[in-house]
Amino acid sequence: MSIEDFRADAMRCSRCAYCKWMPLDLMKSWRFSKGCPSIEYGNFHSYSAGGRLITALSLMDGRSTVTDKVRDTVFMCNMCGSCDVSCKICRYDMEPLQAMRELRVKLVEEGHLPAALAKCVESLKTNHNMLGAPKERRGDWAKTLGIKDLSREKAKVVFHAGCRYSFDGEQSGVARTAVAILKKAGVDFGIFGATESCCGGRSYGMGLNDPVKHCAETNLAKWHAAGVETVVTPCADCYYAFKRLYPQVAGSQIKVLHMVELVEQLVRDGQLKLTKPVTMKVTYHDPCHLGRQGEDYVPWNGKEKKIFGQAVCYDPPRPRYNGAFGVYEAPRSLLQSIPGVELVEMERNREAAWCCGAGGGAREAYPKFSQWTAGERIEEAEATGADALVSACPWCEKNFSDSVRHGGHKLKVFDILQLVEQAL
Amino acid sequence: MEISRDAYRAIEDIVGPEFVTDDPALLDSYAFQYLAELIRPEHSHFMPRPWAVVMPRTTKEVQAVTRLANKYKIKIKPISTGWYHWAAPLKDNEPTLQLDLRRMNRILDFDEKNRFAVVEPYVICAQLQAEVMKHGLNINITGAGSSCSIVASACAYFGAGPSSFSMGNNSDNLLGQEWVTPAGEIVRTGSVSSGAGWFCSEGPGPSVRGITRGYLGSRGGLGTYTKCAIKLADWPGPASLEVKGRPPGYRLPVPENFRVYTIGAPDWDSFAECYYGIYDNTLGYIFHRQFNLAGADLATALWLTYIDPTKTLNDVETAAADPEIKAINEKARISFQLILAAHSSDGIELQDKILDEILTATGCYKVERYCDKDMAEFTNMYLQRMGHKHCNFIWAGGYMGSWMQAGKPDWVKTYVPTAIETFKNDQDSGLLVQCGGDALMGCGSTLAGGGYYGFEQFVSYDPADIKSVKACVKHMEDAVVTCREKGIPYGKEYLYLQVAWPDEAVWNALARAPQTFVFDFQRKIKEAFDPNGLGDRNYPWLPEGWGKSAASAQKE
Ligand code: SF4
Ligand code: SF4
Repeated sequence: MSIEDFRADAMRCSRCAYCKWMPLDLMKSWRFSKGCPSIEYGNFHSYSAGGRLITALSLMDGRSTVTDKVRDTVFMCNMCGSCDVSCKICRYDMEPLQAMRELRVKLVEEGHLPAALAKCVESLKTNHNMLGAPKERRGDWAKTLGIKDLSREKAKVVFHAGCRYSFDGEQSGVARTAVAILKKAGVDFGIFGATESCCGGRSYGMGLNDPVKHCAETNLAKWHAAGVETVVTPCADCYYAFKRLYPQVAGSQIKVLHMVELVEQLVRDGQLKLTKPVTMKVTYHDPCHLGRQGEDYVPWNGKEKKIFGQAVCYDPPRPRYNGAFGVYEAPRSLLQSIPGVELVEMERNREAAWCCGAGGGAREAYPKFSQWTAGERIEEAEATGADALVSACPWCEKNFSDSVRHGGHKLKVFDILQLVEQAL
Repeated sequence: MEISRDAYRAIEDIVGPEFVTDDPALLDSYAFQYLAELIRPEHSHFMPRPWAVVMPRTTKEVQAVTRLANKYKIKIKPISTGWYHWAAPLKDNEPTLQLDLRRMNRILDFDEKNRFAVVEPYVICAQLQAEVMKHGLNINITGAGSSCSIVASACAYFGAGPSSFSMGNNSDNLLGQEWVTPAGEIVRTGSVSSGAGWFCSEGPGPSVRGITRGYLGSRGGLGTYTKCAIKLADWPGPASLEVKGRPPGYRLPVPENFRVYTIGAPDWDSFAECYYGIYDNTLGYIFHRQFNLAGADLATALWLTYIDPTKTLNDVETAAADPEIKAINEKARISFQLILAAHSSDGIELQDKILDEILTATGCYKVERYCDKDMAEFTNMYLQRMGHKHCNFIWAGGYMGSWMQAGKPDWVKTYVPTAIETFKNDQDSGLLVQCGGDALMGCGSTLAGGGYYGFEQFVSYDPADIKSVKACVKHMEDAVVTCREKGIPYGKEYLYLQVAWPDEAVWNALARAPQTFVFDFQRKIKEAFDPNGLGDRNYPWLPEGWGKSAASAQKE
């Protein structure tokens, strides 16, 4: 794929601006009605999905060139996919999110990758993580836990902690919690510890093609060698990479589960019993890569065809990723099975969730924008009267925690697994 | 061509450097507009580029930028939620500042007792509706959908929608406005002009509302509207829309005091009689012919596919060939959607009985499949929130509305067969979506109080296919010729085409209009409020004496 493949999408954009809003049907207030962090922060139309399609067309047609401002419009975006959901309320022939990524690819190929993102990519190459941390430290979080090391042993399930939970001292407690839960449920699993390597998903979102392919091939080879059939991760970004990208770039057929899916199943099957009350009013934030972008991958290699003269469809039918079948119910069901937890919804939830601000390289390249985005979500969570904001992704939690700290908010931020642990 | 550095720096001083740009790629995102490819040289998707885009935050900033534009003789073109090719600059090489009003986005006042709200230009219908429903009130959402600006639809365009049947159009519901004239004066209209608040559309003296907007609205051609007050209507439904289901076909459960029907008619005469019956009995919270935008041959197949989240447009082909769906489609061929609302169960039962009487008397009927729970809830969602209006583009990404002549039902039924035949003929090429000649869609009222309405043909074409674009243009021209030959007033396609014409051609067309004195009057308005010609001809006017013989001009 290249941006040229989305020329027709650009020409067919009706400039309706649905991509700027949450799905209009779901709007409940003025305050929390917006869908796209990028346009809300950047304001000019080019900071919206529709605007980027036009930018792509303008660049392809040689009407304009890439300036610093253009680069900002392309990269100051969370790649959260809210625009994609809203656009597809009325359209079957548009793929704005894919098109925006291809526009990034074009800019990266032409040498316009923002410096902060180039650093991440360099770290991925040298240290196999996106955080600039020394790779030897990757397994430190699990050193004393006595977990099967799949670089030497075998298991059907691999627990993939991901970069944030592996390296961020403030966060790696969640990885320890996760493995404790798996142990308690009697799951036979292992980890790669120091030899675990990044999923590569975030580099894909930044507009690079090769790193994720390399990561996929490396990880799949290791998993196969260790007899792994299922990969389970507490990180929504890793989940998306394994579930949606690896089949696409490396033909992966491995089963992928997010920890919330697995734990919810274990609770439902009675293998885990949540008995201790956790008296707390919580609201759940759907991570973009688990929620609206967490739909199953469907292979497709078709082409456009027309029916009824000019109506646009695809041969064979093109999979429709519009957030209808993301992972929404498992985390909610899990929270509701914790005694004492009262779950209240934010106005923008499920496919309409407002992004945490950490995606698409925004946290690294545009930290102010990223924190503003998180701050908006904190205010929305507070408006529900919840004591805590719960999510299922380390990137969301990091951005929210930073925002709560800097803004002096009282709201607590948890990973869902931390509440499960309290209830066990 | 670019804006002078002096002018640019002066704008930066007013709004701040982060809120102005002249970067070509960013400007192109404003030049790109829906319908451009139908009228631009080589079918380009780009209208002329503005020289800069400016984002004011306050009325004072709008005024300051406008005054600056007068100093530098740069045209002003405001845009809010912005749509149509005429939202962009109209002419190449004409220095234009595009005022993007998206930072003016607040609901400024809400008067529950007197039933109005005061809003800035970037408040959209869905936002205000969500807020006022909490208080048992509602707004008329313009037919272009709830993503549209209330100020734009009320002050600068027309603002008819499905609920206009009971609530009036937004242009009718406009209770006052704040207007920065092209000369840079701030004018307030209605009761607010005398400091009495925003409750009434007319203040002392002549109707300034009439001056600023005329019938169709100035569409950005006569300065900038920075606030307006809009009349609110009764909402007997829940305080918040509790929406169910997955995208795209969200559903809105139908409360006990509401009814949601699709009414079928055996022919257009019965349709008109049924309309009169409903109108005369003051039934109908919402009256709209919505689903037929997909074309009468394909509508049922499309919508039954659409409400199933596992399906795609590919499935419409199979559905359209299904005999059961074909049979439903025939029942719905001439149909419209009707939503009834009352404050009590007795009230809604009475309405139901009256409707049944009307249906019996006119030979019309409820189309059962459309009244089933799933479709009724989807219909309720669609028409109450108007959040699916861009299904207008669902077939191929391009839609152009032709015809759209409004009148009484007895008049509408006379042009409908012609509109259907013309469109059907143009579909034969296969270059437009072949959905049947009747893709007529429209709201039940285009005039306050109802009784007067019109349909537009939903001409679906592929903007990425030059042949399809040309076929759409041909259809527009065919529609104009047919109207001329049959003595039918021109529809929207004529307005769309005019955007590309030179001034002289537009003036010649205006000079042939039935009531040219309007355009003479508007010239005087323009001279008074836009002495430097900063607005464009979206606010139409005629040069003095244009198109008149010397003798008749003298006689006047
Ligand atoms: S990208 Fe989609 S939602 Fe956005 S303006 Fe274009 S058609 Fe509309
Ligand atoms: S991906 Fe998210 S931030 Fe980027 S344009 Fe879409 S909605 Fe906006």
